[in-house]
Amino acid sequence: MKRRGDFAVGDTFRVVREVDPYRPIYYAAVSGDFNPIHVDPRVGRAAGFQGVILQGMCTYAWLADACAEYLGDPARLRRLRARFSRPLQIHDVVTFEGRCTALEGGAVRLEISARNQAGEDVLKGAVAEALVEEG
Amino acid sequence: MPVDRAHLGRRYGPFAFAVGREHVRDFVTALGGGVPGHVLSAAPDHAHPLTFDDDAARSGPHGGIVAPPGFAAAFAMEPFARAIADPALGLDLLRLVHGEQELEFLEPVRPGDLLSTSGELTRIDERGNLDVVEVTTSTVNQHGRTVVRGIWTAVVRR
Repeated sequence: MKRRGDFAVGDTFRVVREVDPYRPIYYAAVSGDFNPIHVDPRVGRAAGFQGVILQGMCTYAWLADACAEYLGDPARLRRLRARFSRPLQIHDVVTFEGRCTALEGGAVRLEISARNQAGEDVLKGAVAEALVEEG
Repeated sequence: MPVDRAHLGRRYGPFAFAVGREHVRDFVTALGGGVPGHVLSAAPDHAHPLTFDDDAARSGPHGGIVAPPGFAAAFAMEPFARAIADPALGLDLLRLVHGEQELEFLEPVRPGDLLSTSGELTRIDERGNLDVVEVTTSTVNQHGRTVVRGIWTAVVRR
């Protein structure tokens, strides 16, 4: 497990995830979010998209996991905030790039971008706060 | 028509939720590109061992697996889901998107936990031609300790 001394301002991390055609349905199954816009392409199109869109909370969970991977222990993540600026659609590929921007005692601050394959932000203002115990 | 601010303070819940070990592992599997119900077929992509691997988790800091942070959607989203579908608010779901999310994690969530989530409508605003509706949730475990607080924001185009 990473220790407090292993963290430094300027550290970076990167995770890539792909929205395969089954992801919104599988995510619905485990989260309970079966909103028709995520499972029925006709509803997605009626809302102005090409088909279904991925649940924002799936993107958010990927964001949280990207932070957890960097932090070493998911329970170190204490707060996570993000705005959903562009829905992810089937076959989109999202790249999360994070950076440690502050370190004070055990308090770690991360800023993360999330962009699709066209380089467009799917999240904005993503910020995480974490606490790394002594040791 | 703007949302009536008289609905501020409207409450949803409490909603009870028992955290199951296979549910947590299914959640991790679904995030990691796998198929729920098939947790044994392959290790999910980017799955944190502390959320998935019993052996690794047993000798880890929590003595067993913990739910990944995103699992909060499974147990804490219900008040938000109820609010946006609440006939009293009359939101058009085809024009609604999840606009913003903040979660605060105070205690790890583990398989076997019995959670209770309550929510309250804490903000109704207009921003240009958008309606902004915010629900604040709090989830307490069987020990009476708050595990997650959430601010769930929906944005509706007029």
